[in-house]
Amino acid sequence: MKKSFQALFSAAVLFLAFPVCALTQERMETRQLDSIRITADRVLKDMGIQKTVIDTLALRESISGSLASVLTQNSTLFIKSYGRATLSTASFRGTAPSHTQVTWNGMKLNSPMLGMVDFSQIPSYFIDDAHIYHGASSVQVSGGGLGGAVTLSTRPAYAEGFNTEFVQGAGSFGTFDEYLRLNCGSSRWKSSTRIAFSTSKNDYRYVNYRKKNIFYDPQGNVTGFEYPVEQNKNGEFRDLHVLQEACLTSRGGSQWGISAWYMNSTRGVPLLNVDYKENNSVKSTQLENTIRTVTSWQKLLEQLKLAARAGYTYTDMLYLYRRGLGNGEWADMVHSQSFVNTLFAQADMEYYLKGKWMFTGNLSVYQHFVTSMDRAVVSVSGQQAIAGYEQARMEISGFLAVKYRATDRLGLALNLREDLYGRELAPLIPSFFADYLLSKKGNVTLKASVARNFRYPTLNDLYFMPGGNPLLKPEQGFTYDGGVSFAIDRDYLRANGEVTFFNSRINNWIVWLPTFKGFWSPLNVKQVNSYGMEAKAWAHVLPGKEWNLILDGHFAWTRSINLGDPVDWSDQAIGKQLVYIPEFSGAITGRLRWKNWEFVYKWCYYSERYTTSSNNTNTRLGVLGPYFMNDMALERKWYFKRADLSVKGTINNLFDEEYETILSRPMPGINFELYLGITPKFSSIRK
Amino acid sequence: MIKPFSITAWVCLFLCLPACMKYGPSAEEEFDVSGKGLFIINEGNFMYGNASLSYYVPGTGKTENEVFLRANGINLGDVAQSMQLYDGKGYIVVNNSGVIFVIDPVTFKVTGTITGLISPRYIHFISKNKAYVTDLYAEKITVIDPLACRITGNIPVKGHPSTEQMVRYGNKVFVSCWSYDNMILVINSETDQLTDSILVASQPSALQIDCNGKIWCASAGTLYRINASSHEIEKTFPLSGDGLFSRLCLNGARDTLYYVNKSVWRMDVSADRLPVKPFIEYDRELVYGLAVDPVTSQVYTADAVDYVQQGVVYRFSPQAVPIDTLRTGINPGAFCFK
Repeated sequence: MKKSFQALFSAAVLFLAFPVCALTQERMETRQLDSIRITADRVLKDMGIQKTVIDTLALRESISGSLASVLTQNSTLFIKSYGRATLSTASFRGTAPSHTQVTWNGMKLNSPMLGMVDFSQIPSYFIDDAHIYHGASSVQVSGGGLGGAVTLSTRPAYAEGFNTEFVQGAGSFGTFDEYLRLNCGSSRWKSSTRIAFSTSKNDYRYVNYRKKNIFYDPQGNVTGFEYPVEQNKNGEFRDLHVLQEACLTSRGGSQWGISAWYMNSTRGVPLLNVDYKENNSVKSTQLENTIRTVTSWQKLLEQLKLAARAGYTYTDMLYLYRRGLGNGEWADMVHSQSFVNTLFAQADMEYYLKGKWMFTGNLSVYQHFVTSMDRAVVSVSGQQAIAGYEQARMEISGFLAVKYRATDRLGLALNLREDLYGRELAPLIPSFFADYLLSKKGNVTLKASVARNFRYPTLNDLYFMPGGNPLLKPEQGFTYDGGVSFAIDRDYLRANGEVTFFNSRINNWIVWLPTFKGFWSPLNVKQVNSYGMEAKAWAHVLPGKEWNLILDGHFAWTRSINLGDPVDWSDQAIGKQLVYIPEFSGAITGRLRWKNWEFVYKWCYYSERYTTSSNNTNTRLGVLGPYFMNDMALERKWYFKRADLSVKGTINNLFDEEYETILSRPMPGINFELYLGITPKFSSIRK
Repeated sequence: MIKPFSITAWVCLFLCLPACMKYGPSAEEEFDVSGKGLFIINEGNFMYGNASLSYYVPGTGKTENEVFLRANGINLGDVAQSMQLYDGKGYIVVNNSGVIFVIDPVTFKVTGTITGLISPRYIHFISKNKAYVTDLYAEKITVIDPLACRITGNIPVKGHPSTEQMVRYGNKVFVSCWSYDNMILVINSETDQLTDSILVASQPSALQIDCNGKIWCASAGTLYRINASSHEIEKTFPLSGDGLFSRLCLNGARDTLYYVNKSVWRMDVSADRLPVKPFIEYDRELVYGLAVDPVTSQVYTADAVDYVQQGVVYRFSPQAVPIDTLRTGINPGAFCFK
């Protein structure tokens, strides 16, 4: 056991040191790596870092799942979801969606216009690795992560020859999902193509308690009422994702890689349950085309790692709000379109000295070109005009870090980051990390970090027409946290856990407010103090021969308090929890395996959320009640000579709860999905 | 080694986790508030569906909030825009819900619902059987039968997707065209035909008609006085700098005009110049709503505070002396006197 443990430890070190395409792991190996997070804590690169690694099993849970559902179930992030296949944004440690920085293969995914990422647009099945950097630790990834950062990566699978995987799913509400992966390669090169296609009518029925059908007698007296059973209106969606990747190892040892991800999405924006309009009278649709490409180069020397990346992102997003003309034709009421072109380049260097020192530096450059326009009729003669803006901005970020293992038990790290956006230089972002191995028995490790941070305004904040405010200052954050982690490894039990306390203060928080000019405009008005505790635990139990039980739990206590100056004497929001941020949240996943069967049970909880900044509880619309959700799945696999087959059934919302997670957004009741998977074994077929 | 039967224990542990959410019907309350009062229409937040109706009885210091929800057990909807009382019924126009609720102003109970609208803004009554409804997007004015609670027709207004406030002079209804527009339309209320239009500055919204038959229109940085007979602009009152007119009101005698330009101002309708001193001075807060009691000439101003909490309404005497402060719903934007 000890030998295999050491081997796994070595594998983990290599894995963490060469993240991009360097050492592609077979899926089964990846699972094993995940289970040795215990030892990875002492890796020099992650000294003092508060990081959550999302289990590959969670990412591969469902081809219809998005990263939003995975993060909800497997991390302490609160995902504010407006419904099925609709906008899902992250609140990390009680901060705003734009305070979570997200990267894919090293390139930022955050919109330069809005600053945030819609996690419902990222299929979890595409993601090979997802790491969450909490608070100060995000500085290692990017500036601006006042809450934290999420890094996503994809890579070609290990493949000798050709192999493929196909999964098909069908579910309630006319939902169909297809997933195809093609891999081929040799010891020197690999190629991978992934295609995911999802479509759904998304027309679930619900009892609408926000409306009544009232019955009257001829005199106009009420004789009775019923709550109407309505369908989710205008919720249909169709998402296509294609990801092509290739990597090559040259004879000189350099590794080259390219990833290209195309997304085409057409999504209806569902009507509220207080909306009396019908599907044939109005239609609200969001259409998006996005292509992201990243090319990478990496060279590994004895003590030095050099890497470079270049990338390009194109996004074309169109929001249409249309009314039916009664003859099958539609007229635009809102036609809002944006185009984003982003060029990206990054150079990285890591240098290891005597196993005790590590020096890291990187420089990244983003050049954004953004056009945002809202077409509107501006005269009686029907002339159309564009209201919007066209802007370009360069963003440069430089990062230096030194990490030092002072003793076997003590590790220290100092990071410095400097951001330049447009012609503005953000103040220096320093951060300091320390960890100390308190006990080798149980790998009890103390961790602490402190960082300053800044997030500069988005292009919409500065230039949106009308209302953009070019005088905005960057949001400033100061955060510190400390915690303890442990890890144990027994014959029948492997487990690890971590508890972290955090405190951060954000000044100059940007909020959009109405002005006396009649439109909304952003201002640096808020100060927020966010503090609380995060806990996570993972255990792998071997209860008997061929039995495996894996438990994964996350819990967060988050106080996100408005400490800004009151708007006026009547402002009751000071000292109150921010809107829609739950004070408590938690999730537990249980995974029970026996032979080729797997049973998964998921439970998720949020405490009540306030819908007003004053946390008013004496109104019926001011509070959304606590949220509890239970899902389960059962999967059976067959390993035949010529192919592996799998059948999986899932039940979502097991207890058929009626609920809203956002005001006026009814959610689906119990629903079902069935997946069939096939992985042909071409080498066996040839024989 | 953990014994296999412990698996059952783990599964049981999961099934014991709490699972029941609080969600469902809202209880109904009985109201019986005859006599004078003031409805405060709270817009709520766009796409939150948290609009509400407050009711205040002047002089009592008592405000009842969410009376529509409490009386009927259903939500008012998304963005309550305006309310009118006509023939003993209250008509609440809920913009982004596309609905007009008809309520009994004593019990607040719904007595009718008018649907089939796109984005209704204001209602103007022509007779017992006819009313006009303007719309933010529909490119038409909808004609409804308020008694039957149904749509009876529409008046196409091609090129003007956004129609807003209405005033009537004889058989002419003047309609401001607000969003991305610069026109006041004239409708013949007998034929329901568009007969004329008046060009003004961009985004005309508020309209009032005074005791002299003059129409007052607030359009961006200019206040217009228009002759309702000839449709001619008699007088313009431009503001300097970044000033902006909004929220026009008249007193009961319709001889004194109130408007908002950061502060609240008051002027005689026969004045040739804008006043130089505000009636109620504001420098920090934004006046989100304004109303003048048609009987007492007391003035009500609304403060939305930070736009995501309960707003505040201030009541002033006709001499601008503060009398009362009310805590209402979110974004109190309109008033309706009973």
